[in-house]
Amino acid sequence: MPNRPTGFANPWFQFVLNILGVVVYELLLKAGASATANPASNWSWIGITALASPFTWLAILVIVVDLVIWLYILRYIPLSIAFALSRTVDVLVPISCWLILKEAISPLRWCGIALVIIGLVIVAKPAAELEERL
Amino acid sequence: MTSLSLFLILVWLAAFVSGQLLFKRAMESSRAAGFRNRRTITTLSIGIVVMTISFLLNLGLLQRFDLSYVYPFQGSSIIIITLLAAVLLKERLTPRLILGTLLITGGVVLVSMS
Repeated sequence: MPNRPTGFANPWFQFVLNILGVVVYELLLKAGASATANPASNWSWIGITALASPFTWLAILVIVVDLVIWLYILRYIPLSIAFALSRTVDVLVPISCWLILKEAISPLRWCGIALVIIGLVIVAKPAAELEERL
Repeated sequence: MTSLSLFLILVWLAAFVSGQLLFKRAMESSRAAGFRNRRTITTLSIGIVVMTISFLLNLGLLQRFDLSYVYPFQGSSIIIITLLAAVLLKERLTPRLILGTLLITGGVVLVSMS
């Protein structure tokens, strides 16, 4: 993995941007989906009705930018490490739901979130070793 | 959870996993042969189509369930992606990476069960 860019182009910096982007677009998608929810419609299973909400379109914009960032990250970081670390969103999204959408989090769910955090810390080690080899 | 919703979650999972693998393949190809390379363009295009399918299914599922309930299902894709990255992309798996991946998956399953 030679010639890793530095500064703004640093793939790990882009990784943080990517994670924040995921949290933002998931919350926007939920806002868009909730605003247009119509379970009676046959079309709602493919989510097409959610396109009526501006939140959904804003989410799509963030998703496209996030996708470009993700592709950039994959140019430099192995998929197994990048994807495992990208599960930081599994901690951030439920916590954002709890803080912003006021969705309830049960004690068992908090335990799951804690387990994800431990796993992330463990995966971060091979990622740091990877960095040393660069 | 009806069998239809379970089926759609599985389709979503399959599309999502193959999309990630295609993206990584496309980026490897872009490093080796550039973005104008035919193989880079083809792989990336298929990846984008597959990801779009998983995106639309994601929207449909979000309209039925809480985000904090639907979303963690994506977590079960970690193990599948890690294994397939090792098998298909020849990425190196360290014991730490495997342990961490299992813990993350376990945590995500716990989150989705509660």
